[in-house]
Amino acid sequence: MSSPFTALLGQLIRHRGVSGCLVVGERDGMIVEANLQIGVKGEAFAALSASLYRKARRSALAAGFGEAGFFELTADAGRVCAVGRNELVLIVIGEPAVNVGLIRVEMLQAMELFA
Amino acid sequence: MVADDIRALSEQLAADPSSLAFLPLGEALRRRGQLDVAWKVATRGTERHPQRPDGHDLVARIAIDVGDFSRARSEWETVLTLAPGHATAQKGLGFLCFQQGDLAGAAALLGAALASDPGDQSLAAALGTVRAAMADSERAQRERETAALANPAGALTQATLEGAAFVADARALFDEILGDQPQTALLIDHDGYVVAGQYVTADGRDLGADLAAQLSGVGDEAARAVQFLGLGAWKQIVFESEAASLAMAPGGDGVLLVATPRSVPLGFVRRLLERSVERARRWLETGR
Repeated sequence: MSSPFTALLGQLIRHRGVSGCLVVGERDGMIVEANLQIGVKGEAFAALSASLYRKARRSALAAGFGEAGFFELTADAGRVCAVGRNELVLIVIGEPAVNVGLIRVEMLQAMELFA
Repeated sequence: MVADDIRALSEQLAADPSSLAFLPLGEALRRRGQLDVAWKVATRGTERHPQRPDGHDLVARIAIDVGDFSRARSEWETVLTLAPGHATAQKGLGFLCFQQGDLAGAAALLGAALASDPGDQSLAAALGTVRAAMADSERAQRERETAALANPAGALTQATLEGAAFVADARALFDEILGDQPQTALLIDHDGYVVAGQYVTADGRDLGADLAAQLSGVGDEAARAVQFLGLGAWKQIVFESEAASLAMAPGGDGVLLVATPRSVPLGFVRRLLERSVERARRWLETGR
């Protein structure tokens, strides 16, 4: 059974270096739909990434910078990108060398689905 | 601290309102950015335990986070009354003095705090900056006195300009990197204090402390997330908002934050961040 997000997640997971992509509830960190490679801890990524995105969004609002858009965390062993709207967050997990520019464009375009 | 720990502490406090659980609970809530709840927990706990310096210290740090500097000062002064030599209170008051241009007060408090915690890099750097500014101030004073004897009318203008320059020393750390563009860089320590840099609005107000209080928690949250997910150490966060692009990276014992207008390309924001991190590292290591 497919959801409005199935095609989007299928497209994102095909990028070189991407190991998982998820649509997650921003408030509860619960997975709405995910496309993950074997071994990726989907629930942990969903909960922590949604929490981090929520924190960044609220901090930006409180600091007077308005609503947050694209978010990216780079670590030694991986990269997490997120963008959200209407209490849903689209998350992409990948290697440090993943093509962030291309993924960012696709993630921002995908926000139409969340409207 | 995870949500389960917070829940357990909340239950412990509910079962026994006189418990000292308000201390770790208030601190955990503060670090999670739940400042309203943290404030209630901390102030109620401190009302029950007015003789505990750590309770007043917690209230002071939350007051800093919400921008209530006068309350923070009053709470830290209470801490020092109850526990003379309390390092965190000396550090907090030292930064407040520094921000308000009271260099002698800042040097005394930061020096005392550093004696209690010699490994704190941000304290050593801040103290070095304050002492350098004091030396500049004394030199400028001598020059002004000499100038006043020679030219009484011109001395006041010169004095005003030089006074502004030494107070802005650490605040101007990133000026060379940032140029004339409306962008900012702040070095924030692990307690959320601005160690260097400034965020000046169009009407001339420095909102660096407010910005630091609001955004420093993002770095803490990132550190927790990458540790749990096994991604190694976090290196960089970049995020876009309606009005600005923000980037942060670990710097000193806290974070380095860069904010630019949205019109600045993200690649340039990253480069700005890397250069600012390098500048802060050099300053913390050498004081220059």
